[in-house]
Parts: sequence; C-alpha cells; structure tokens
Amino acid sequence: MIEVKNVTKTYGKKEHLFTALKDVSFTIPSGTSVAILGKSGSGKSTLMHAMSGLDRPQAGEVVIDGQDILRLKAKEVDKFRARTIGFIFQSFFVQGNESVSDNVSLPLEIADVARSKRKAKIQAALESVELLDKLHGKAKNLSGGQKQRLAIARAIVNEPQIIFADEPTGNLDSVTGEKVEDMLFGYNKEKGVTLIIVTHDADLAAKCDMQINIKDGQIESIRDSRATKTTGKVRVI
Amino acid sequence: MKITDTIRRAGRSLRQAKVRTLLTSLAIAVGGFTLTLALAAGAGSRQYADKIISSNIDPQMLMIAKDKSLFGEGDAGSTFGVGGLREYSDNATQYSGLTLEALSSTDLEKIEKRSDIEKVTPTYLVNAQYVTFAKKADKKYTSDITVFDTSVKPEIVAGSLPDGKQQIRDDEVVVPEAFLQTLGVTDKQAFIGSTVTLHLAKMPTQLSESEMQDIIAREGLAGLQKYTQVEARDVALKVRAVSKQSVTSLSASSALFISENTARELSDYLTKGTDQYRSYVSVMALVKAGTDPVTVKEALAKDKIYAMTAKDAQGILFTIVNLIQGIVIGFGVLALIASIFGIINTQYISVLERTQQIGLMKALGMRGRDVSKLFRYEAAWIGFLGGAIGALLAWGVGMALNPWITDTIGLGEGNYLLVFQPLPIAILLVSLIVVAVLAGYFPARKASKLDPIEALRTE
Repeated sequence: MIEVKNVTKTYGKKEHLFTALKDVSFTIPSGTSVAILGKSGSGKSTLMHAMSGLDRPQAGEVVIDGQDILRLKAKEVDKFRARTIGFIFQSFFVQGNESVSDNVSLPLEIADVARSKRKAKIQAALESVELLDKLHGKAKNLSGGQKQRLAIARAIVNEPQIIFADEPTGNLDSVTGEKVEDMLFGYNKEKGVTLIIVTHDADLAAKCDMQINIKDGQIESIRDSRATKTTGKVRVI
Repeated sequence: MKITDTIRRAGRSLRQAKVRTLLTSLAIAVGGFTLTLALAAGAGSRQYADKIISSNIDPQMLMIAKDKSLFGEGDAGSTFGVGGLREYSDNATQYSGLTLEALSSTDLEKIEKRSDIEKVTPTYLVNAQYVTFAKKADKKYTSDITVFDTSVKPEIVAGSLPDGKQQIRDDEVVVPEAFLQTLGVTDKQAFIGSTVTLHLAKMPTQLSESEMQDIIAREGLAGLQKYTQVEARDVALKVRAVSKQSVTSLSASSALFISENTARELSDYLTKGTDQYRSYVSVMALVKAGTDPVTVKEALAKDKIYAMTAKDAQGILFTIVNLIQGIVIGFGVLALIASIFGIINTQYISVLERTQQIGLMKALGMRGRDVSKLFRYEAAWIGFLGGAIGALLAWGVGMALNPWITDTIGLGEGNYLLVFQPLPIAILLVSLIVVAVLAGYFPARKASKLDPIEALRTE
C-alpha cells in the first residue's frame, strides 16, 4: 500500500518560488494499476519522483508498506529503489551499445543479486516480453516497441513491488503502444504488482483501476473504477 | 554493486569508445615508454658497472690513501681532478699533475700491523720510457705497467697463470691480447716465452747550487756530468700468458702485468734519491675473508687514513648512473603529468556523454559511490592499457636496439645497456594505474553527484 500524505514540493526561493506539489494526499492499495493524469507541467512527474524516492519533497510523507521513504537515509532510499521499484521511461533509456542481456542485467547488478541467479531471471524477464530470441543482440538493433519491451523486462527482472511508467507509450505508434500496454497490465494483474503510469493520454488512463488527476500541483479528482468493476483484485504484499 | 560487475561494466564502456580509449591511453603510454626505458637503462648500467667492478676489484680489497681527494671526497667536496687551495704537507707527492699527500711510513706500518688485513700492496708507479718486444725488435712502444693482481685474475687466451693466489715469477710478464694485434702477431702460442724488454730511464738527481759546487770541487766537471746524466736500465721479461680482450676488465686489456717483486724493485730504482722513494699515494690492502672491509675502513679513518671499498667504487659509478636515470625519469614524469590532463578531459566528456546512462543507473538505485567507482575503474583501465602499451613498446624497441647500442658504444659482447626487469615494470604499471585513478577522481565525482531527475529529463 502506498500512502501519500500532505506532500508539498517547491522549487526556487522567495519571489521565484514555484510550488510543484501542494498538499497532495491519496492512498493506493497494493496491486492496483494507477494513472497519474495531467498536462505537461501539472506536477505529475514531480509526484512520481517523490513517490519513488528520487526526489525529496519539503513536507509530507510517502508511506510504502508502513515505511516513510522520505525519512530514510540516502543509502536506504537507493536500496529501496533497487529492491522494490521498477522504472519505465518515455525515451526507453536502454543502452544501445550494450547487449539486450546486459541491459536487463543492470538492476540485478545494482541490487547485488548473486551472479548464479541472474541468468534465469534475465531469461524469464525477456521471455515474458517476448524478446528471448534477442538475448545476445545489441539493444540498438531493436525497434522502438522492442526497446520499450526491453525496458519492461529491465523493470520487472528483479521482481519489484511497484512499477513506475512515465509516458510508456508516448514515443510509440498506437499498435506497438497497445502491445506494450497489454504487457504492463498483464504483468500487473498476473503478479499483483502495483503499476503507476504517469501520462496525459486519457485512453491509457481509462484502462487503469484508478485515475488521479493533477492540475497545477494539486489533486483535481480521484476516480476509483474498481469500485464499479469486479475484475480488480486487491492483494496485500 | 559487486566490484567485478563494476570492473566489467567499466571495461565495456571503454570498448564502446575504442578510439577515444586508445588515444587517451597512448598519452600515458608515452610516459610509460620513457619510464620503462629509463628503468631498463638504469638496471643495465648498474649491471654493467657491477661487472666492471667485480672483474677489476676483489670485493675484499681496500684502496687506502692518506688523501681523501683521491676518492673524490675532498674537504670542499671537490672531485678527483679538480684542485683547490690546500694546506701544504711535507709528505705531498705529485700524482697525475695533482699534489696528493702520500702515506707516511708510519701509516704503512699501521696498516700492515692490522690483524684483519691479509696483505698490503703499494700501488707502484713503474713508468717505462719505452717497451720493446723481441717479436718486433725494430719498434719501440709505450705501455702501462701494473702489478699482476692475484685476486682478480684475467682470462687467458694463450699460456697459463699460476694456481690459486700465487704471483707470476719475477722475470715473467702477462701481455694483453690487444697488444698482439698492434704488433701484428697472429700465432699466440709462439708468442709465449718471447722476450719483452722494459726500458727504464731514471731522471738525474736534482742538485742544489751548493751541492753542484761541492761535486765540482771534488770530482771536477766530469763528475758533475756523471751525476746529472740520465741513467737507463733494460729489464728483460718472458711472456708467461696473453690475457683475453675484455671490455669489462680494464687493466687486463691495456697494461702489462709484472710480478709484485719486480714492480717494487723497479719502482724503488726509479724513485731512489728522490722524495718519492718508498712513498706511496695509495696502497691496496686485502682484507681477510670474513671481515667486512667497511669495518676496516672505519677503523682506519680514526687514524686519518682513508680507504675506498669495492662498494664505494661502485657507488661512485652508480651516482652518475642514478643522475642520468633521474633526468630521464624526470622527462617521463613530465609526459605523465601531461597525460593526466588528457585523462581528466576525456573522462569529463565521457560523463557528459553518458549523463542519461548515469541518471538511469542512479534511478535504479545505484549508489553515488558505485557510480564514482565505475568511472575510476575506467580510468584504471586506461592507465593499465597505457602502461602496458608503453612498457611493451619500450621492451620491443629496447630488444631491437640493444645489439646496436652495444656495438656503437662498445659495451662488449653479452652486455646490454637496456635490461628489462619484471618487478620494476610491474611497479611502474601499478603506479600508472594509481596515477590514472587519481586523474579520474574529479570526473568520477561529477558523475557521482549527478541528479538522476535532471539527467533523465527529456523535455
């Protein structure tokens, strides 16, 4: 469960002060798929950074499974990210010069996973995004959709509890974008992983269990479609 | 992150930028090349100097003198051959144009009486006016004449030497191989037993005016003529052996060896009636086996008698070698300093180029320390690569040039100026890696301080 309590984030000082997030609070049950929806500059990316421990807001709490990650030391936050969070970005950020396998291996190396266990994990992750045949190929030889699938494999390889996806389909055409969406939601349902998608795409947001609308650093509305759907299941991790 | 993973990733990043990596390491390679050659030249020179010392001086031998300046450690730090204002001494002797204080007879007695000294041999000055060889009787030659050293025997190409530490007989002489070439003698065996004649010329006694008047009063002008006439003496010696031409054994290649007794007798004959009679600038003393020559040297110094051990002689040679080596190393270090800036520059560019990669790694939870390590290992790889290229190149060039150098400066067969030893090269490699890592410190710090949010911002 993720509890965001009264989070406020400001940039600059005095007359240049800019409030990116203003007293934001909400709760996300484990295993939910959530869309953080908003226009560019609305504060949705800042919110994602705060929830993932990349950024430290000036006030408020981000409690994940009972632990306020904003109170953790830098070292602990890094460890937390390496073990519990997976990231997917709009521009993929796959390392073109490296092999597909080395790209997926990075989170395992950072999380100090024993070398003997890595190979199986990498293969499983690549298999679930249908890229196992490209294992030894260079990442730069992949198409855009394949690159984003590779990024998904990298995000899930260490079996995180939360996946943050920042405009995952923003750079993809609708067909490949749909495939990537299916994979993300499939993984979310199958493993009960909390999926948080930051987007301005209303269609993509509609596929999520929960929509959090952000405007000018404040929550405009929260819609929980699970209340009306029966397919969503809540799982406590 | 595990160290092996970091090293592997560092190596991979470098392979992805092959040209840049190679160019940066080449800068270090220049320094590595120079330093390797300097080390090799130093090692080679020291080995060569060692060889020269050991084939000319017995390690138990002490060269003893009254005058420190003979050893290049005069009061004003003046080296051999550089004069200065010195106090007058009744015991002073002219030696090679220098005024040197000779050992007095009491000094000699002191040395001879020591229980730790086996034998004392004065360095006799036997100056033959000319030398003739029976094999080529029509020509006159000049040559240095030295006492046959029983402790450091020369190699022989013809004839034989006495066993053990025995002297050659008083009527015998050992001739260097090089002399035979000058004489045009090809049959070395036939040369053995032939006669060598030393023609000694004794200068007349210096007479004062009153002495001259006395003589004229006693014996007339004819008598005076007798006193002032140059006295000559021929000493015939038989060739016992021909010593082998050797670059490292200096005296064996350039001087006639005679027995100690003959040398003493001739020296006495030449100096009799002069103030140089039985006065020696230096003596060679053989320290008994088992006693460190240094302790004898220190004991003698208390009596104001100074000595030089074989090690000291080596030290003088080494000082020169070390100085030259130091200069070359200085140039190598300069090249290294230049390469440090190269590494800093390339690594900074590398950090800028890989901003997104660094941001991603940090977002995925990589510690700033590990990011910094990644870049420092990259620098280490560059240092290692540069060092290896430089050392390998130096080794190759050295091996190719060695025969030519030996030939050109006449080191003699089997001696090489450049001697590559694994340990100094290994130490050099390690220090190059350390230097590279230090150079990579600032770029690595910049990478570790990078804010992942900024680095991953795509808008």
